Amino acid sequence: MSSAVQTAPGFAAAPLAKFIGWLTPRGTLGAGVTIGVLILFIGFAAPFLYPADPYAIHPAHALQPPSGAFPLGTDELGRDELALVLSGGLATLIVSLPAAILAFFVGVAYGLASGLGPAWLDKILMRLLDAILALPSLIILIFFASLVSLNNTSLILLLGFISWPSLARLVRNETLAQRGRDFILATEQLGASKFYIARVHLLRVMAPILVVNGTFMVGDAIFALSALSFLGLGVQPPQVSWGSLLEDGLDIIALNPWWLIMPSGLLVFGSLLAASLTGQGLLQKFGGTR
Amino acid sequence: MIRMLATRIASSFLSIVILVTLVFFMAHLTPGGPAYSILGMKATAASVANLNAKLGLDVPIWKQYLLWWAHLFEGKLGYSYLLSRPVGQLLWQYEINTFVFYTVSIVVSTALSILLGLIQGVYFGRWPAKLIGGLQLGFYALPPFFVAAMLVLWFSVGLHWLPASGITDLRALHPGIGTYAAHLVLPVATVTVLTVAALSRYFGEAVHEELGKDYVRTAQAKGVTFQKILFGHVIRNALRPLVTILGLSFPYIFTGGVIVESVFNYPGLGWLMWRSALSQDYPILIAIVLVIGVLTVLGNLLADVVNGLLDPRARYE
Repeated sequence: MSSAVQTAPGFAAAPLAKFIGWLTPRGTLGAGVTIGVLILFIGFAAPFLYPADPYAIHPAHALQPPSGAFPLGTDELGRDELALVLSGGLATLIVSLPAAILAFFVGVAYGLASGLGPAWLDKILMRLLDAILALPSLIILIFFASLVSLNNTSLILLLGFISWPSLARLVRNETLAQRGRDFILATEQLGASKFYIARVHLLRVMAPILVVNGTFMVGDAIFALSALSFLGLGVQPPQVSWGSLLEDGLDIIALNPWWLIMPSGLLVFGSLLAASLTGQGLLQKFGGTR
Repeated sequence: MIRMLATRIASSFLSIVILVTLVFFMAHLTPGGPAYSILGMKATAASVANLNAKLGLDVPIWKQYLLWWAHLFEGKLGYSYLLSRPVGQLLWQYEINTFVFYTVSIVVSTALSILLGLIQGVYFGRWPAKLIGGLQLGFYALPPFFVAAMLVLWFSVGLHWLPASGITDLRALHPGIGTYAAHLVLPVATVTVLTVAALSRYFGEAVHEELGKDYVRTAQAKGVTFQKILFGHVIRNALRPLVTILGLSFPYIFTGGVIVESVFNYPGLGWLMWRSALSQDYPILIAIVLVIGVLTVLGNLLADVVNGLLDPRARYE
């Protein structure tokens, strides 16, 4: 899907003013970045603005719809839903953002190693990649999540080491495509090492592809973590997350607790929308069609 | 085409063998092992050794691995730790439910995608296409658990139109086929909402692209009506990318399926995988990984064959 991206020379040198100029016209990118900043604010800053204890139980006010005292109502234990959603947001983001970054670096390193290394290494690495890509990543995640004891560190490692294959393939294909170009051949003839070529030339040429796919990967990580948590295989109680809050609401859905389902559901939706719109918008800016 | 399919099958099955091997060793090298997850962490060493002998876990791991393949060729997939039933029999029972669910879902979402994509392609650049395009971007980002929860909230809890969960087994049809169909509506609607966004977008773009090609202009120039061009030529040609995407999305529909089946308590393969993961029932998990891997390969092959039938050029790619 992203292989159609054309390279945009000079991207790395774009000054800040130009960057802001990009965002100002209303459009996909602007909408994506706006929603993304809002989500990050809710996850990181809002807990300090609304300091209510998410685990304080108010039995007299259990399962109440939104009111003045509890802006998002209370759950069946009588906990403040707004405080829970904010705490769940922080729990979701502090796992999925590092996981996306880890997956990004693993994917780039794997792709570069496969594309620049000897042919036998490429064959082995690509065969392994095919095996991992033979299944949807959520299936593999569910499998490995059942093996390990789940905490923030293991979840970051799990998500990070499972979510890189499609980026790795992209980087590898792009590396092979760029390797035959004259300036790379010339650099090689001048005695440059493979690390030098990767660092100075390949990464710069691939920057637009990497930026776009990195954006998509953040969305993927948030989705994967929320899905795992929803299934009880992600963030573990007592810590709540957006996925587990949705599951808590679904457990008592016969009582019509719409205020327990809407906020966390909309926030996951918003995160995915932000990543998807930002990625699409960046693709348009870089001149790709898709 | 036969030659292409043969190489494709061979390389795919090598991938599946590698995957199953990885999964097998990962499952059996975990600290504690399955005995502790069945008996609890406080189990005595004697009872653990006893259970390990019973489950065949006391032989060296490479022997267990070879035995697993030997049993597979006899058609046996091992025994579930917790349900004490043959895994093959369990999978078969759940597979039927999943098959009905996905067949209905794929038919409904493909039909809807063709309709929406057609409108999008024909009215490209005008408001109907822009409206559909905007909806696609939004729907594409919807997480499955949220869609499922909202549908249950509106149509089951709010309006009391449809049941939310409670199918037991397809073959225990005593409440009648009508009840079963009613239970299928919301899960199918969820999968449809989730897949139509991407499918209709691919088809819409393909229709738009085809409409700009020379043969369409030629046909128009010699006086063929637009309907005839559209339904006689363009749709057939535009179906190719849709078929490829459909084949590739086969396993991803299953992914959505795990979540959708867990929300609606629908007893399919996804639900079985979820329950087995929660209780660390590895024989079932390994078998499901194998089944999904095979289904993925079959999905891709099916797409290649259908594309070969639609367009002779695709037979030699």
